[in-house]
Amino acid sequence: MAAVTETDIHPDDAALRKVRRERVLAEMADEGIDILITGRESNARYVAGVPRLWLAGSRPFGPGCILVRETGAIHLVSTWDEGVPDDIPHENLHGITFNGANTLAWLQRIDGAATARTVATDGLMPSSAQLIETAFPSAELVDGEQMMRRVRRIKLPEEVTAIRTSVRLSEHSLAAAEAAFSIGITERQLTARFMEAMAEAGITTPTTQDVAWVTSRQHSWGRDARNNTVAPGDLVAFDAGLLCDGYYGEIGRTMSLGAAGAGAGLKQRWDELWDRLLAACRPGAAATDLLDAYDAVGVAPAPMPVARGLGLGNDLPLVTHALPRTSAAQTIEPGVVLALTGYLWQDGVGAVYGQEPVLVTESGPTLLSTNPFRDSRSSIK
Amino acid sequence: MAIGPGALIPEEPDFDRMRTDRTQRLREAMRDQAIEALVLLGNTNVVYATGAIWPLSDGGRTNFEQPVAVVVADDESPHLFSPLRADDRLRHALAPDHLHGPAHLDFDEGVEAFGSQLADLVPDGAVIAIDEWTHALRRAGTFTTDRGAPLDGGRLISKAKLIKTPDELAAMRAGLTITEAGITEVQARLAPGVRQTDLTAAFLRTIFDHGADANVLDPIWQIMPTRIADGPWTTTGGLACPLLSTERELVKGDVLWVDTGVSYQGFHSDFGRTWVVGQEPSARQREQFEKWRAIINAVLAVTRAGATNSELTAAATEVAGGEKPWMSHFYLGHGLGIDSAEMPFVGSDIGEAFDAGYRLEAGMVLVLEPIVWEDGYGGYRSEEVLLITADGWEPMTDYPYDPF
Repeated sequence: MAAVTETDIHPDDAALRKVRRERVLAEMADEGIDILITGRESNARYVAGVPRLWLAGSRPFGPGCILVRETGAIHLVSTWDEGVPDDIPHENLHGITFNGANTLAWLQRIDGAATARTVATDGLMPSSAQLIETAFPSAELVDGEQMMRRVRRIKLPEEVTAIRTSVRLSEHSLAAAEAAFSIGITERQLTARFMEAMAEAGITTPTTQDVAWVTSRQHSWGRDARNNTVAPGDLVAFDAGLLCDGYYGEIGRTMSLGAAGAGAGLKQRWDELWDRLLAACRPGAAATDLLDAYDAVGVAPAPMPVARGLGLGNDLPLVTHALPRTSAAQTIEPGVVLALTGYLWQDGVGAVYGQEPVLVTESGPTLLSTNPFRDSRSSIK
Repeated sequence: MAIGPGALIPEEPDFDRMRTDRTQRLREAMRDQAIEALVLLGNTNVVYATGAIWPLSDGGRTNFEQPVAVVVADDESPHLFSPLRADDRLRHALAPDHLHGPAHLDFDEGVEAFGSQLADLVPDGAVIAIDEWTHALRRAGTFTTDRGAPLDGGRLISKAKLIKTPDELAAMRAGLTITEAGITEVQARLAPGVRQTDLTAAFLRTIFDHGADANVLDPIWQIMPTRIADGPWTTTGGLACPLLSTERELVKGDVLWVDTGVSYQGFHSDFGRTWVVGQEPSARQREQFEKWRAIINAVLAVTRAGATNSELTAAATEVAGGEKPWMSHFYLGHGLGIDSAEMPFVGSDIGEAFDAGYRLEAGMVLVLEPIVWEDGYGGYRSEEVLLITADGWEPMTDYPYDPF
């Protein structure tokens, strides 16, 4: 299923690495940042283009990949050179360490560490300010995460291609879960089918492991129990996502079996919500149009972001009812890829959830999945 | 199985009791350090403090989707700010006014909103510690002390979770059992022509079918070279391990080093073994296994509450003829629990002074992972998960070493 059978670990495509790095360096120049320290894997992947071991969950901040503006040198935490391109020489690889003093030692040896005036990090620990002050004695510490968000927001054509591949693989893997969807199957068993199909297709890294859930009839955003089985009429949400070459491909769907289901009223409101959401993905539109779509249809604000950028992880724009001012400060620009999300809950019935990867172009939204939600709404029974 | 007088591991964990015990332990640690509130951002720290369980997602999602816990010293119930769906157990455990919507602490607007919510929970001027920090929090000065940084809450929680309660041990054992169910399915498929990713498929399918909440590590089925020089270059000159799995097909005689782990009820498991594909181990490979057993047995002979890390590393090194028999970029052993690798680290690059001063305590769970390597002939590696007891140790699982 994967585009190419992969039997070796190799760095990201050289041209893609080059243009991503140039973007970061240009932004560093604009902001006067001398050294960028990334701890977040998605930022490190953007800068270095090296696949490293996938671990689930958040990680505390620590220097994982460093870019020096003046020389373009990259330093990477990796004990070995597998998957490391030639433009990161062995002397710039730094082994795994559990000792802060060892981290400090290699930071201090970086060319330009002593004279750097501005050092940006994409995260912090309570001890980070002290570490940066010691390793880079002349430098002021600034926010590198905001800078990386700006850089990553607009996708390169090659990135869109990578996202399309990931979306296609997500759809393929979700189809296995759909095929197993039946009365009495558990949420975990549906997750198991997705994961199995994903790995058989050559991908072993999910973006989310909360793949299927029976939406609650009692709680607008809750689980009725921890181990639900699918019953007739349950509205079951599927959230499928994986990383291929680091890029996210995610789709969300709702399915039901047997009696009742969503009912005509809910379906009609869903279609209206979805049409408005899609219509709001126009280039130049205010991001708040997406939030307003919920109001316009009389639907309660979604408990999750209405739109998140997709790329090497989540990117801007982030459009969520929880951050109205942040949302209002953003516009929908050509070149962003959105995980566009609809959520509609009805007391006593459950919820309809849908997520569609949408590329915004000069001429409007382009759906990146091969079976877009709008066409498959008949599956909400 | 006794971990102390009368403390038995129950068949089934009591999750209410587990949460109450943890909160009590955390609040005691806070009182000892005069910390009035603890703010936690790290996924596993939030799990520990609140009992919230969710399937962990990729790190690239976590800064937009990050649960936050607030533990207040004089409140027996923690607060949870979460973008995730609360389950029935959590709703039962936490009062409705302790369950909040998401806190976006990577965004200025999110920090501002969180700050005003926090003001309702924590008295003005209270001493607050935090495990991780963000630039948005730094800009707002929300937790900044006179020293220019917040108080570090990470150590406090790292210490609190060191000693496992009987309920925690019961849940951990269940997580290990799920992992091994997955491994059993993988091992049954081991044959020439099977791809590494096929092994991953069987593993993922089985762990979720058996009740895992999440996979925590892209499973490692590393095809080992016989010589270090045949593998990737390393910063240490030693072995490159763990390396990523691909669609590479196994061939007869391949030696696989296996390393996996899952998440169950908030606990991470760990599993490590060496397998041979499509044939029985050679006499030399069996000798390597016997050497590994000799190392493990020597370490176990000195493993007990009160032993220092150095006693364990010395025992291993002596049997190995003076060479440290573990990967120098890792350790001889590490703690296991809420994190895949947590304190105590035994034989790591934190250094010999640390190891000499660190004493094991009853109720810690330790993973020992020595290796045997004979350059030119490959090597053997397995992991042993054990519970430290007052007078020694107990195995946490009894998964066999087949084909050895």
